Amino acid sequence: MPLQGGQWESLTPESLSAPQRYGLAILSVAAALGGTLVLGRYKFTATEFPLFLFAIAITVWYAGPRAATLAVLLSSLSFDYFYTEPAYSFAITRADIPHFTIFVLFGLLLTWFSSVRHHAERELLRSRNELVKEVVERTQQASLLNLTHDTIFVRDADDVITYWNRGAQELYGWTAAEAIGQHAHALLQTVFPVSMDVVRAELLSTGRWEGELRKTRADGTEVVVASRWSLRRDDQALPAAILETNNDITERKRREEEVRALNEELAKRTTQLEATNKELEAFSYSVSHDLRAPLRHMAGFTELLQRHAASHLDEKSQRYVKMILESAKRMGSLIDDLLAFSRIGRSEAHRTTFSLQQIVQEALADVREETGARNIVWRVGALPTCYGDRSMLRLALSNLISNAVKFTRTRPQAEIEIACAEQQPDRIVLRIRDNGVGFDMRYVNKLFGVFQRLHAAESFEGTGIGLATVQRIAHRHGGTAWAESVLDNGATFYFSLSNARGA
Amino acid sequence: MANLGRILLVEDDPKDVELTLTALDEYNLANEVVVTHNGEEALDYLHCRGPFATRSNENPAVLLLDLKLPKVDGLEVLQQIRAAEKLELIPVVVLTSSHEEKDMVASYKLGVNAYVVKPVDFHEFVNAVKELGVFWGVINEPPPGSLGKTSRL
Repeated sequence: MPLQGGQWESLTPESLSAPQRYGLAILSVAAALGGTLVLGRYKFTATEFPLFLFAIAITVWYAGPRAATLAVLLSSLSFDYFYTEPAYSFAITRADIPHFTIFVLFGLLLTWFSSVRHHAERELLRSRNELVKEVVERTQQASLLNLTHDTIFVRDADDVITYWNRGAQELYGWTAAEAIGQHAHALLQTVFPVSMDVVRAELLSTGRWEGELRKTRADGTEVVVASRWSLRRDDQALPAAILETNNDITERKRREEEVRALNEELAKRTTQLEATNKELEAFSYSVSHDLRAPLRHMAGFTELLQRHAASHLDEKSQRYVKMILESAKRMGSLIDDLLAFSRIGRSEAHRTTFSLQQIVQEALADVREETGARNIVWRVGALPTCYGDRSMLRLALSNLISNAVKFTRTRPQAEIEIACAEQQPDRIVLRIRDNGVGFDMRYVNKLFGVFQRLHAAESFEGTGIGLATVQRIAHRHGGTAWAESVLDNGATFYFSLSNARGA
Repeated sequence: MANLGRILLVEDDPKDVELTLTALDEYNLANEVVVTHNGEEALDYLHCRGPFATRSNENPAVLLLDLKLPKVDGLEVLQQIRAAEKLELIPVVVLTSSHEEKDMVASYKLGVNAYVVKPVDFHEFVNAVKELGVFWGVINEPPPGSLGKTSRL
C-alpha cells in the first residue's frame, strides 16, 4: 500500500503485507546508514549508534517485531562493517566486542519493549471494540424495551428507578428523565395488597413476585396494575436490581367491581323475590284453606235450610236461596281457578318429552263427558311430541278445547279443529279453530287478561281465568298464545311453545 | 258408650263437624263417630290417656283428619300415628279444604290412605263424606285390633 502523509497514523504492522514490512526494515536501516555516512563526511562522529537505533525503533513501531529483528541484523552488520575496527570488514577486534554487543542487545531490547507495548495496545483496542459492541447491543435492547407498550422499569436495591421505558411514561405520565433517580414507591405512591416484608421475602426467596398494586399517576389519578417483579443479583449474589412490568387493569377491575355489585344486587333481589314468593305461597295457602271453609259452610247450611224449610218458603224466598247457592258455587270455582292460575306462576315446571296427541286425547275425553248429546265434529290432525311440563300443557289444551266447546254451544253442528300449525325443530305452534260465536277483534288484547270476559255471564259461564292461565303456561314454555276471529264467525286460537331443551 | 266409635273425626271447626255429621247421618253412621277438636285431643283419644283413659283400647276403623288444626296440626298427628307401634296400621283419610299440592305430597309421604278435598258444593260434600264413611267404616276390613262392625248395618 502507498505510504502517504496522513496515513501514518493508521499505519500498523497488521495493515502491512510481509514484503512491505521487511522492505520498511531494509529501507530504514539503509536510510540510517546513508545518513550516518553523509554526516561522517561533514566530520560529525558517533552518529551511527543513535541513527541505527532510530531505524530499528521506526521498524518495530510500524512493521512489527519480525521486521525489526531483520532491522537489528542489518544494523548490526552495517555497524560491524563500517564502524568497528577493522573498518570495511565484518571481522571484529577483541576490543570492539563489548561495543558491538551493547549495540545488538540495545537493538533487541528496543524491539522487545516495543513489541510488548504494541501487544498491550492491541489488547486494549480489542477490549475497547468489544465494549463498544456491547454498548451498541445494550442500547438496541433498551430501545427495543422502549418499543413495547407494556410498562417496564428497573429499580436498584434501594428502589431507586434506573430505567424507565416509553410504556412507563405513557402509563404514569413521567418522562424517563423525570423518573430515573426517584424512589419508585414514593413516586408512584404504591399501595401493596400485603405488607412490604411479605413481598420482599417472596422476591428474595423465589426471585420473583407478582400481584395487583394501586399506583398514582403524575396527574394524580389512581391506576390498578398487574405487577410482575424479577430480581437480578450481582456477582456476589446480592440483590442488584428489580425489573418491574406493569399492566393497567383498572378498567378490568372496574368491570369486575361492577359485575360484583350487580351480582350482589341480584342476590338481594332474589332474596326479596324469594321472600315475596313465600308470602304469596302463604297467602294462597291461606286462601285455599280459610276462604273455602266459610264458603262451604254457607253453601252447606243454605242447602240444609232449603231442605228443612222448603215447605215454609214462598217462591221468592226459594229463588233467593237458589241464588245464594249459585253465588257460593261460583265463588268456589273462582277461588279454585285463581289458585290454579297462581300455582302455574309459582310452581316449578317439570319438563319431559311427551306426545301432544296423547294429552289432546285425554283432554277430549274429559270434555266429551260434559258435551254428551251435543253434535260436535272433531277434526284432530297429527300432533308432534314436545318437551315441556305435561300437566301444565294438558291444562292449557283442556282450557282451549273447553272454550271452543263452550262458544260453539249455539251452533246446531259445532266444528272444532285441533292441528299443528307450525313445526320447527325448536318451536311448535298449535291451532284450535271453532265455528262458534267468535269475538270482536277490537277486544283481542283483553282476551288473555285475568278476569277479562268478552261475553255476558248469562250467555257463557266462566271465571275469566282460563285464557289467562293458557297465556301464562305458554310464557312458561317460552311461547305465547294469541287468537284471531270474526265476530259470529268462529275463532282460531294459537298456542306456541319453544321446544328447545334450554327453554 | 259415647267413647266408642269406628270413625274418629278430627276437626276443629264446629260447622264442619255439623256438616260432616249431617252427611254421615244420611247413612246412619253418625253414631259411630267420635269427634275430637284438635290434634292433641285426637292423640289422647288414640293413646287412651287424659279424658279418654277409661275407654276400651280398640282403634277406630278409620280416622278422618283435617290438616289445619290448633295445637298439633294434622300432618303431625299423622306422623305420630305412623310412628306409634299400636297405631301405625290405622287407616287415615285426610279430609281438608285445601288443594295444596304441598300438603298432598307431605300426607302421602307420611303414609296417608286417602286424600279428600272437601267440595264447596254441599251435595258433592255430602256424597264424598258419605262414601268415605261407608267405604272405610263398613266395606273396608280394618286391621286387627280395630273396633269391629256393629250389627246395625
